[in-house]
Amino acid sequence: MECYSEQTCALAVDGELAADEAQRLRDHLTTCHRCRALVDALRAENRALSDSLNELPEEAASPASSSPQRRSWGWSELAILAAALLLGSIISGWFNELDIPAALEWFNPFSVSGRTNLTFQLFYYFAHGGTAMLADYAAVVGWICLLLLLGGSALLLGRRGRPHYPGLRLLIVLLALSLPSFALERRHGEFVTVTANETVDDTLVAAANMVRVDGVVNGDLLTFGRTVEVRGTVKGDLISFAQRTEVSGTVEGHIYTFARSLDLEGQLGHSIYGAVQSLHIDDRGRVGDGIVVAVGEATLEGEVKRSVNIVTGGSVDVSGTIGRDLTMIGRSLVLTNTARIGGNLSARVRQLKEVQIADGATIGGKRDIQVRVRESSFTRPRFYFHQAVWFAGAILVGWLGMLLFPGFFQATTQLVSSGWRSLGLGVGVLAGVPVAMVVIAITLVGFPLSLMVLALYLAAIYLAKIWVGAFLGRTLLKPSGATKSDWLLGLLVGLLILTLLGFIPYLGGLVRLGVVCLGLGAFAGQLYRASRPVMTA
Amino acid sequence: MNAKRNMAKGPEPREGETKQMEGMDLASVIECARGHDGEALGEIYRRYVRRVFGLCRYMLNSRESAEDTTSEVFLKLQRSIDSYDRSIPFPRWLLRVAGNQCIDALRRRQRGRRAIVEVEDGAAVTEVPSSEPSPLGAVISKEERAEVRDAIARLPENYRVALVLRYYSELSYDEIAQQLDLERNYVAALIFRAKKELRRRLPHRSK
Repeated sequence: MECYSEQTCALAVDGELAADEAQRLRDHLTTCHRCRALVDALRAENRALSDSLNELPEEAASPASSSPQRRSWGWSELAILAAALLLGSIISGWFNELDIPAALEWFNPFSVSGRTNLTFQLFYYFAHGGTAMLADYAAVVGWICLLLLLGGSALLLGRRGRPHYPGLRLLIVLLALSLPSFALERRHGEFVTVTANETVDDTLVAAANMVRVDGVVNGDLLTFGRTVEVRGTVKGDLISFAQRTEVSGTVEGHIYTFARSLDLEGQLGHSIYGAVQSLHIDDRGRVGDGIVVAVGEATLEGEVKRSVNIVTGGSVDVSGTIGRDLTMIGRSLVLTNTARIGGNLSARVRQLKEVQIADGATIGGKRDIQVRVRESSFTRPRFYFHQAVWFAGAILVGWLGMLLFPGFFQATTQLVSSGWRSLGLGVGVLAGVPVAMVVIAITLVGFPLSLMVLALYLAAIYLAKIWVGAFLGRTLLKPSGATKSDWLLGLLVGLLILTLLGFIPYLGGLVRLGVVCLGLGAFAGQLYRASRPVMTA
Repeated sequence: MNAKRNMAKGPEPREGETKQMEGMDLASVIECARGHDGEALGEIYRRYVRRVFGLCRYMLNSRESAEDTTSEVFLKLQRSIDSYDRSIPFPRWLLRVAGNQCIDALRRRQRGRRAIVEVEDGAAVTEVPSSEPSPLGAVISKEERAEVRDAIARLPENYRVALVLRYYSELSYDEIAQQLDLERNYVAALIFRAKKELRRRLPHRSK
């Protein structure tokens, strides 16, 4: 009789052969040594496989953190980091004892006097040191970050070689990335001056009432203060959060500014980006690239090599030269006789008479002037299309969220029901997070962290309506089950209601704000709950 | 048999909490758990967490994912235990649930690619001529078992998943086919090839 194939034997050994065929094989085995040896070997192999797999590898034998009681990612790490933060603040206080004790007195939570004096110190510092306190604070936080980095690394190394906490790892990478900022030169005081014969070889962070650069800064210049004057040269970028920024010297990089006014009388290598109340490019001013700004009003008398894009609530006056296009959205536009635009002019204004183009003005390309007529958005089909896309987008995001984090989404939806508590918490989060972000960001070291928080904050604001919508829908529909499709249906209904409510004049705005606060509060509450041990039941 | 083994060597119970459940027989524990008794669920967790974690660890090839998936399995158990109908032993049912969870996780992980388990040349069972058999040996040492595990971990995902479902979860070909959404014949071919590949990668184990 012909022998059986290895595959048939394997099936038989796995007990997967049909009964009659299995019987035939067994009969065959009584006579065929070769096949019997094969079956025996296959059986032994199965046993070996089974034994090998059932003897769980060392690490699998102790799923230490896989219990339902485990805290959600990295929370225990955060607790450790918070402890390290406290420790760090004390140690850095000790470090800086001789240097800036007053700044740390109030910062040290273990000092009773520090705590009671906190408010007074704060006022004192703002009154006498002004922004100097921020720089002190930045220095302290810098130290803390360094300590955190060291502590976190030690923590990771201590964990039997293989770290498995993505949050912690990310934090350490970010901290490590921000380490170079220790090389920053920080200056603060009433006046910070880089004198004409002085050269700062690195990035300069200056916080003062008055920052004046007569010399050379080889890196970037980052300033906080009332007035910033660059008469010398900044080889990198100028990042200014000053009330008034005046550049009569040279900035070789870009200018990023959030200031009340920016005056450029000197040379700028690249572009201007930012939001300012008044932008003035003097006739001596030269911009190597373009300008992208949101301004109250802009006066361009000098030369811009490339395009200018301006969104303004007021007017744009051009009497200088623009190498390429001028694009503006705003109230009025004036081009004088000396104005030259190399490319196209496109302007969107409210009324045609607000555009004044002198006869002497030259425009190389096309003129495209549109009058924005304010009409009810409800009469435009595009409005409905946009709303439909937004709505579909929100549903899609809700669905994705439910797919990826079902537990979290359902729990957050549930938490919306705690009403006033969520609302109150939401208002707090909505107002508090930006402040916290600014405090983190001013240290520069904490900048990436602040960006992460910002991303989370914006995402949560967007998701707020989804959670609230899902809750509203569920309250109205009262589905029998709690499946994903019930949740989604609830979301669909709830979101539709919220969207429609949002269109009501005045009240709509309040509804949207309320939804954001409620959703944010539920989110924050759920985050907090997730940080506590989950009960098994 | 595996269930028994595991019941014997589950991790230490948390203080006090599960003491009175400890001695209870499985059926009563499950009954309590169906009534959403937290302690009963805790006891089930205590008895089977290693078994489930082992499956997830093998299937997903990553400790983090395995931990997450194990958590998910037990968290969902609160609801899913209602669907347990006693037609099969509980540990087997639990492993099937966990297997499904792992497959979901694998699918999520590689959304871009097509189905996770596919037999390359669209093979149904083709009768392979009875070549020189070279299965793994019978009695193997601890080190060799570790080697076998390593080799399985390095197998292509479709081979690994099939082997783990068959020889760890001890599912039948039909059950595997159902879990992976494949024909039974495909599953047979998959397991056969997986073993061949394993032998190829463990040459010194072959006879």
